[in-house]
Amino acid sequence: MLDVIKIKKDFPIFNNHQDLIYLDNAATSQKPQTVIDRIAEFYSSENANVHRGVYPLSEQASEAYEIARKKVADFIGAKSSKEIIFTKGTTESLNLVAQSYALENLKVGDEILVADFEHHSNFLPWQIVCQKTDATLKILNSDKSGFISQKEWQNKLSKKTKIVAIAHASNVLGTINDIKKIAKMIHSVGAVLVVDGAQAIPHLSVNVQDLDCDFYAFSGHKMLGPMGIGILYVKETILAKMLPYQLGGGMIESVSMNETIYADYPEKFEAGTPNVEGAIALAEAIDYLSAIGLPEIRAHEIKLSEYLLNGLAKINRVKLLGTADAKGRTGLVSFYVDGIHAHDLSDFLAKNGLALRAGFHCAMPLHQSRSCGATLRVSYYLYNSEQDLEFLLSNLEKAITYYG
Amino acid sequence: MDDLYRSELMEIYKDPTHKGHLSDPSISTEKQNTFCGDHLHLTLKIKNNIIEDAKFDGAMCFVSIIGADFLLEEIIGKTIKEAKKIDQKKLLELINLNLSTSRVACATLTLKALQEAIEKYEQEKN
Repeated sequence: MLDVIKIKKDFPIFNNHQDLIYLDNAATSQKPQTVIDRIAEFYSSENANVHRGVYPLSEQASEAYEIARKKVADFIGAKSSKEIIFTKGTTESLNLVAQSYALENLKVGDEILVADFEHHSNFLPWQIVCQKTDATLKILNSDKSGFISQKEWQNKLSKKTKIVAIAHASNVLGTINDIKKIAKMIHSVGAVLVVDGAQAIPHLSVNVQDLDCDFYAFSGHKMLGPMGIGILYVKETILAKMLPYQLGGGMIESVSMNETIYADYPEKFEAGTPNVEGAIALAEAIDYLSAIGLPEIRAHEIKLSEYLLNGLAKINRVKLLGTADAKGRTGLVSFYVDGIHAHDLSDFLAKNGLALRAGFHCAMPLHQSRSCGATLRVSYYLYNSEQDLEFLLSNLEKAITYYG
Repeated sequence: MDDLYRSELMEIYKDPTHKGHLSDPSISTEKQNTFCGDHLHLTLKIKNNIIEDAKFDGAMCFVSIIGADFLLEEIIGKTIKEAKKIDQKKLLELINLNLSTSRVACATLTLKALQEAIEKYEQEKN
């Protein structure tokens, strides 16, 4: 297990809120002091716009920005940092794929497959693409444990499938999908694979070359980095053929009254002044995570999942969503209690300092497929302990007794 | 810890006075809160412009149940004109709960349904 007491000292939020038990990490993680300091340091002593000036300050800012890109590329095992596009977050990354790739390449009769557990941000862009191109959106229905069965893949995947968009890990079920296996399967019919990695990247060691996905999207703020910075990885062979997403400064080679030549990628996809401090603070977060070790964090979370799943199984009326196998999940468990509204439970728990999420978690189609109302979601990370979950379980029991 | 809600409210939550369905309603309506998935079925019995009886049912949270029961208690026996005067501010005063912004929608679910039902009733009548 990780030394949680020591780790917590790196996160000032816990010093400022002594009673806070933060269990909403799937929404956003807390930030270590090093990441917070890095942002202040950039604006205090390094601030200049990137890729513009020839004076030293601008060149240093540009260099720091590109070093951050390289750090991200190495962190996810990309072949080259040219495959890394900085965005606002996972949502923008997925919208970029939908607009710059899907809209340009799909036509009537083509099909896009998405899973029923997708976050709205990996669902709505594909709905629109299908409306605009007359392609068909097909849903892969997950089984009770939260996985797509082989039979379901066989039923839905065909030569007509051009794009498969799927979460590496579900933000409601917590279930981890076998992306490597899926990539092999869908490449055999000539489709491309878009992976929503928002819930996987903070927890799993991701290697995009090993997974062999074509697109991989994630956010910085769920992995100890700041809000407003995200990543889109695109396999270079595909990226080289893509049209720009937004137009403006910073993404051109030359512009005349009659003709524009775009800059090379990834700059081609980063119009306007980028979130430089976000990128370099994300690099700082990667350093922090790497120093602790993703395998160590993963092992810690599996222990916590086992403890929580075991505890929930003992409480009457608790209905679990997704697999009961801790190893098949990230640090996330969603459930509901028969007869008591999730918001009522959440109110009771919040009064005792427990911060967790109640609702549909931006995945209404999933809740419809499970015929359940709002659910409670517990999501933990490197600074959470068994004591946190023990406190949650005992208060959950009290809440159930209270509401009766 | 202190109880989250006043004890009399807990009693109403567990056994609301006006929960159920009227067998022969003058008007009925359904309403959903997409934020939390609550859904409500409201039935009203109206005679000579007076709301003689009203009942609610559905899958609802504590706050929406309290909002529904207090509202129906308030409007039964009143004229349509009087019922129409009850707005969000008045209802929140009646239930007297310290609500976060997101949960005001829970408390006012039945009020919105009532306003729709009255409008529907008046349209059908004319």
